[in-house]
Amino acid sequence: MKFRTLLATLGGMVPASMVAVLAFLAIYAWPAIDYNGVSFLGGMHWNLGSLYADPVSVGGVDILPGASYGIFFLIVGTLLSTLIALLLAVPIGVGAAIFLAEAVPPRPRLWLSFLVELLAAIPSVVFGLWGYAAVVPLMAHYVFPAMADTLGWLPGFGEPTGSGFGLLTSGIVLSLMIVPLIAATLRDAIDSQPAAVRESAAALGATRFETVWRVILPGLRSVLIGACVLATGRALGETMAVLMVSGNALNTLPQTIYAPISTMAAFIASQLDSALQDPTGLAVRSLAEIALVLCIISIAVNAVARLILAGFDPRHRRNA
Amino acid sequence: MYMGRPRRWSKLALLGVAALGLATVGGASAAESGRLLETGSSLLYPLFNIWVPVYTKTYPGVQITTQSTGSGTGISESVSGLAQIGASDAYLSNALEKQHPEMLNIPLAISSQMVNYNLPGLNNEHLKLSGPVLAGIYQGKITKWNDPEIAKLNPSVKLPDNTIVPVHRTDGSGDTFIFTQYLSDTTPDWAKSIAYGTTISWPSVNGGLGAEGNQGMVNTVNQTPYSIAYIGISFKGPIAQDKLGEAMLENRAGKFVLPTNATVQSAANAMVAKTPKDERISLIFAPGADSYPIINYEYAIIKSTQSDVQSAQDLKTFLRWALSGTGGNAASFMHQVSFVPLPASVRKLSDAQIAKISG
Repeated sequence: MKFRTLLATLGGMVPASMVAVLAFLAIYAWPAIDYNGVSFLGGMHWNLGSLYADPVSVGGVDILPGASYGIFFLIVGTLLSTLIALLLAVPIGVGAAIFLAEAVPPRPRLWLSFLVELLAAIPSVVFGLWGYAAVVPLMAHYVFPAMADTLGWLPGFGEPTGSGFGLLTSGIVLSLMIVPLIAATLRDAIDSQPAAVRESAAALGATRFETVWRVILPGLRSVLIGACVLATGRALGETMAVLMVSGNALNTLPQTIYAPISTMAAFIASQLDSALQDPTGLAVRSLAEIALVLCIISIAVNAVARLILAGFDPRHRRNA
Repeated sequence: MYMGRPRRWSKLALLGVAALGLATVGGASAAESGRLLETGSSLLYPLFNIWVPVYTKTYPGVQITTQSTGSGTGISESVSGLAQIGASDAYLSNALEKQHPEMLNIPLAISSQMVNYNLPGLNNEHLKLSGPVLAGIYQGKITKWNDPEIAKLNPSVKLPDNTIVPVHRTDGSGDTFIFTQYLSDTTPDWAKSIAYGTTISWPSVNGGLGAEGNQGMVNTVNQTPYSIAYIGISFKGPIAQDKLGEAMLENRAGKFVLPTNATVQSAANAMVAKTPKDERISLIFAPGADSYPIINYEYAIIKSTQSDVQSAQDLKTFLRWALSGTGGNAASFMHQVSFVPLPASVRKLSDAQIAKISG
């Protein structure tokens, strides 16, 4: 019995810690939630107020004059950068997985797979530094002007191409961080498909590519969605790399795909010391409210993915 | 997961980690006594970096760690007691002083701020800019370099038809504080709608960028043609090295001046007599035909009630050394960062505040 209770306690700590974090955020941010109301999510203006003026009382709450907290531009920045990262990472990840599982002979396959997985081990601040030093100048001087020339007729792809710090650069750096999650998971899954499936497909006259594309991958939809959810979770919460390449836009929505943005996680990191200057404490609690919103968005993404997975499961069982 | 390493490797690794852990623990407990942490202003950071090696040669029992994190962090970490010395270009606000009456704002030197830009082909020209023009740029009202407002001040310069990229500080910054004080003092519209602070709500400007720390500002301006930024004078070296432009700012007398020792000294002479006992005063937009408009005291934000007697003693010894003309305020140090030493009257006020520190 003692072992069982120990196991239960240890196992229970995992969901308990998640609930504890959410509860802490909700309790700590409550004064801000109460004051900001619904306009927090839709408001376009994040303003700490006049830090060197005396606090005034609004509706019984002490605030700095001019303080208003709206994070719509952060929500847009977070969701758009994650979307672009996924749009880039999913084709590359699936392609890499197929390539590694099918087209590479067994000896180099070991090392190439190891290298792909190693990409996931690189700390995010290193990605940020590389993005800042290499990607941003490359984008600003060569890629973005070329894109604006060829794709400028599309809305959002035209001039001005900016300084290289922005939405598309953040998306590119994020996609490189999440590609190994998708590629490694999918490659493992493709590898572990029984040989009988491949042999049956070959017997029907399918080429190697047709086997993978039409027979093996459709059965792995749930794995792919699971990997994409993991990737989305990582991209939503990515702080350091985005902080260094996003341009840190304040209170603006990106007009083009090259324009600077700000994401929720990067914003909390960069604004914490400023928020600590607020003697009323409302600014730090509003940052905690941003963290709460980020948590809820991540949970929502996970929940939606699980629902999609549940949708696939009975069909899968029927085919098997 | 693919590497089937022999077992003795993992045992060796475990031993190595354990040894490292023991060493860290041992090292930490030995260094507990005589440690001072300085954090904050990136404008004051270069000076602290040249002070510390010289100071520790004379006083080897004290270990001083320096960090460049922004004045906002300097203030908050000093208030919370995490750092002994909070370096800040900004003094504490009235509200913060009321909340934390034990905090001291002790000037260590007088510094100034440049406005730098990156105009290909024009960086060796000193463009003339005024407070209202800068306010217009940072509000998004003046968007092109050849705007009539800028051209009016610089009739002999062929300004390019490019969009201005204003760069601001994203971290809580004393440089933001003094820059926005200059904008507030010169432009009533700015004073009414935005005012000043270590962090402000920057008006949204299309393509405007944020950077962290003075070094981040230098890097961003260097990498971004047609950008403009406010940068502390202690970064004059990197600016010159990157061949970026420096603006002449309009002072209260209507003249356009560069931040030199003479112009900063002139501004200081006009304002120093007005310094109150708690030394919280803005030196911005000083009167005088040759005065530079953006100068400030470099503050050490110190908690008067330190955690123990030894820290208080170490702190007082260091601060007195920093203030003395043969120690930290010597010309050899000041010259390297383009600061101006504290005048004798202010040094007396600072000494009086240092005497209040206790353990």
